[in-house]
This record gives sequence, C-alpha cells and structure tokens, in this order.
Amino acid sequence: MTLKARNNVHVRGRGAKAMLFAHGFGCDQNMWRFVAPAFETEFKTVLFDHVGAGGSDLSAYNPVKYSTLAGYADDVVELGQEFGLEGAVFVGHSVSAMIGILASIKAPGMFSRLVLVGPSARYIDDGDYKGGFSEAQIGELLEFLDINHMGWSAQMAPAIMGNPDRPELGEELTNSFCRTDPDIAKDFARVTFTSDNRSDLCNVKIPTLILQCSEDIIASAEVGTFVHHAIPGSRLVILDATGHCPNLSAPEEVIAAMRAFV
Amino acid sequence: MLRCAPLSEMMQNPPRASIIEDLEDLYENAPCGYLSLDPMGRIFKVNKTLCHWLGSAPEHLLGKRLGDLLNIAGRIFYETHIAPLLRMQGFFNEVALDLISQNGERLPVIANAAERRAADGSVISTRLTLLKAADRRRYEQGLLNARDQSRSSEAAARAILKDERETSQLREQFIAVLGHDLRNPLASIDAGARILLRRTKDETEVRVLQMMQTTVTRMSGLIDDVMDFARGRLGGGITLSRNANRPLEPVLAQVVDELRTTMPDRVIESDFRITDPVNCDRSRIGQMVSNLLVNALTHGFPDRPVKVGASTDHGMFELWVANSGEPIPDAAMVHLFQPFFRGQVRASLQGLGLGLHIASEIAKAHDGTLTVASTAEETRFTFRMRLRA
Repeated sequence: MTLKARNNVHVRGRGAKAMLFAHGFGCDQNMWRFVAPAFETEFKTVLFDHVGAGGSDLSAYNPVKYSTLAGYADDVVELGQEFGLEGAVFVGHSVSAMIGILASIKAPGMFSRLVLVGPSARYIDDGDYKGGFSEAQIGELLEFLDINHMGWSAQMAPAIMGNPDRPELGEELTNSFCRTDPDIAKDFARVTFTSDNRSDLCNVKIPTLILQCSEDIIASAEVGTFVHHAIPGSRLVILDATGHCPNLSAPEEVIAAMRAFV
Repeated sequence: MLRCAPLSEMMQNPPRASIIEDLEDLYENAPCGYLSLDPMGRIFKVNKTLCHWLGSAPEHLLGKRLGDLLNIAGRIFYETHIAPLLRMQGFFNEVALDLISQNGERLPVIANAAERRAADGSVISTRLTLLKAADRRRYEQGLLNARDQSRSSEAAARAILKDERETSQLREQFIAVLGHDLRNPLASIDAGARILLRRTKDETEVRVLQMMQTTVTRMSGLIDDVMDFARGRLGGGITLSRNANRPLEPVLAQVVDELRTTMPDRVIESDFRITDPVNCDRSRIGQMVSNLLVNALTHGFPDRPVKVGASTDHGMFELWVANSGEPIPDAAMVHLFQPFFRGQVRASLQGLGLGLHIASEIAKAHDGTLTVASTAEETRFTFRMRLRA
C-alpha cells in the first residue's frame, strides 16, 4: 500500500514550496476545499485524510498506533518524507494543530512555518487550566457519537470511501463527508479530547500563526491564548468568524490571515 | 367499519374550499419545532412549539446559538461534524441531538436542516426542523446496548473457545507423542517373541508366543489408529500419497494373510477382481480393509466366515467387507463412524472405537464413500471411489 493511497493524498498547485493541509476530528480533507485552492498558484498544496477518516485506507487503521497523537504525527512525517517536503508550511485544523507541532519537533527542517487553526493543547480542565470540558463531558461525547452513527453501514463505506474524486453532492453521498466508522470515530474522539500537549508547545522552534475564532466552544479564546503564550514568538490572530471551522464558514478571512503570514 | 361514500354522493358534496390552512398557525403550532439561524449562527426566529418544549419564551431564545440549546456532547458533535456538513452540502438530515430545556431536562430530537442561500452562494439563513424522538432514542439506545452486550459476550465466548482449543490441542499432541513412543517397546516385544519362536519346540511356548505376536499386531494397529486420529484432530488430516501405477491387490492380500495368521481359527473368504489401476494410497486402503476386517471379526459370529471383496468396474473401485452377526441397531448407525464410538454389546471385545472412524476418514480423503448396510443375514461395509480423481 502506498502512502498516497493510505492517506488519500491529493497534490495540486505550482510552486517550489509546499503547503500541507491537515484536517481535524470530524470530517476529512474536504474541510480545506474553500481555502487550499487560493494557495495553488504559489504553493504545491498537499491534502490528505488521516487514517480512519474520509477516503483513507481503513485497513491501515491500527488502534494501538493511533491511540496517541504521536501515531498521527508519525504519518505526517512519513508523508513529508515521501513527498519531499522541506521548509514547507503546515496548516492544521483543530487536533491537527497539535499533530503538526509534534511532527515539526520530530522532523526539524520539514516545516518552516505552522498555521494552527483553532488549536487546543488540552481540552479537559486541569486545576487552573481551563480546557473547556470536564472528563465526564468527554465521556458523554463518546456515547453520543454512537447515537449519530446509527446510520453507518460498513457495506456503504467502500462506495463512499472508494470514490477518489468525490463528485459533489450526489444524493448517495448525502451526509457522507463526515461519515466515519463509528469505532474509529470514537477512538479519534478519545485521543483528540484526552490528549495533553501543553508541554510540547515550548519546543516549537518555527514561526507559528494561531487563528482563533470568536465564540469557539471547542477551542475557546482562553485556550488559544494559552497556546499563543506557550509557543515562543507565535502570532495570534482573532478572527471575526464564529464556531470551530472558519476554514468553511469564513474562508476569505482565513486566507487573508494566512497570506499575511506566509 | 369504514365504508366509502358512493361516487354520486361525492360528486354532490365536493371538498369544501372554505377551509384554508392558516400558515402563520401552521408555523407556530406545527407538530414539530422550527428554528431559523442567521449567517452567524444566531437564532432569529423560533416557533411556539419549540418554545413550549424548551419551556422558554421566544425572547429568551433569540440571539442564542444552536449550541446553547444542546448538551456539551451535542455541541462538540455539532461543531465538528454537523456544521461542516451543513456548510458543504447545504443541508443535513436525521441528526440526533439532545436539547436541554429551561429546567435542565434532556429532550432528544431528530433534526433536519437546510441552508437558504443567495444567488452568489452566501448563506441567508439556516432552517431547522426538530422532531421529538424520545421513544426512538430509547429504542436506539437499547439496540446499542444489545450490540455492546453481544460484542462482549462474543469476546468472552471467543476467549473460552481459544482456551479450550489450546487445551484440546495439547491433549491431542500428548496422544500423538504417546502413540509414537509406544511403538518402540512394542517392536522390541515383537522381535523378542520372533527370536524365541525360532528357538523353541515346546508346543505351549509356541502357542503363547504366537498369541503375543497376535497381540502385538493388534496393539500396533490400535496405535496407528490413535496416531491417525490425533493427526486428523491436529489439522493434518489424513494425508495421501496416491499411486495408480502400483498394484493394489497384493496389499489387500497381505492384510488378509496377516489376519488369517493371527486368527487361525477364523475363516476369511476373499474375492479380489481388480482389473484396472486404482489411483489410491495403497497403504491407507490396506489400513482401511484391515480396520473393516478387524471390526467384522470382532462383531461377526465366530463360527461364520468373514467375506472381503474388491473390484473395479465402470470407472469405480469398490471394496467390501461382510460378516454374519447381530444386525447393527438403528440407534447405533448414526454414531458408527464417530471417533471413540463403541457398540453397547460385548464392550470387552472392542478396541478404542477408532477403527471405523479412521476407515471413513480414509474414504473421505479419497473423495470416496464408506457406507454400511446391516440386516439379520449380513452386515456389509462398502467403500466406493472413482478410479481416477
């Protein structure tokens, strides 16, 4: 199995420098569909799905490997090596912000800049640290995921997953963008919301841009500010966009902030 | 009982046009909740039904975000899955959410939503329809619980099965090793008896030594059976080395001769007419006929002959062994070829109960059949296989 197939990699654009886009918990590389094209004239854009999400090879899913964010970061490093990334820009949404941080520490030189969209170093409150959630609430989330995966059918998965080009909005694709195998979704939710990467932040050695939404209940302004203070020399931009996915709800604002940085 | 109005009556009384749906009322008091969000995701309109469900006045809901009405899990799920989905495809269907009412009660609903978009694709508003789904949720929860339960009991059953398999494999390995190790001392006894037979002239001693040799032959047959059985259980099955070029008849004749020698007081009548080459494992077929003959000699009346025959005809090879004796009871027929099965009668005369089982396994390995017919006159085992596989 090639890495390209394993992670459903799509490379587009021109340019000597590369920009790697990593999606967060919930959907897949489609998250970047309104943002990535804007950079195709200056950058080689590399989009991929984490193993277990979107069009990735589900048979490559290993619950042990992916029980920590380091497992996902290893994949990013492998992709970087495979596609010859040097001094590239890493753009990570949500949990992939931390995955990018881990990858940049693991493979110095692979990335020259980090763009973190809605990052959180820890989601569960810890003493004075306010992550925004209690352990019980995260437990509730894992249960809740099951209820909304009632419609998941393993038979349907290949048809959806196997479609490389994702023709837009076919009726059979309804609700499929964010459709994930329920067990994998649970695992990913668990590793996302129970990770603690606060101690990794100070090891970031490259220029970092943090894009923080207004009124983001997943990653609050407090959490974004924590990340900003902990990463030496990082830049924090508060977006007008609300919610957790400015890359979808306010792509122009995200593109503008990224352009000013890269 | 329902009865359709006659057509003529319906013609005279057409549906009254005076009942007009009150759309305002339909919106406000619909049997479902309606919610409209502005492009920033804030509630700007909500119907009375939903206000009633939530126990809130409309003015308390206006300006809030949908997430404010949900439990934490629902908020996370909405932000990470549903909001992106809505933005990408413009709608979502059948999403399960838990609303939290004014007094903190959980209100399970199923939500559908559609974006209203301007010509340039920008969002004007998002409309949501919410249906109460408490019963449905309970039912689904029940399904999920049942699934989890069956998963865990399946896992437990698997663990037990694995354990049992390992134990039984160990036991069978032990049997195989034991069988193998019994062969050497048995060979020593056999060699010793042969040496003594050559030296002695004493009639009693000769008889005792011959009896010892008979016993050795019988024991080594039993050991062969046990080892074959253990091998079969260990997954090796009965392995064949077929050879159609070597004659089968001498092998069968030798088996008969050996048994005649070891049981001189019994009569074995043989009738071999093998005219075509048989593509079989000759030593296995020999083992089969030996097992069938021992079975016939054990169960047949001692004063009546045991008959054995083999022939080739019309592309088939047939081998049969027949004896006179009590017919096999119907109840026993079913278990006849199962391992360790022994008839109820005259148990002391019998071996391990593997002979017929091994014979049927050899038949299967040759893609052939081993059948039995038992009447008051005769009990006959018949093996049939194709000459060429």
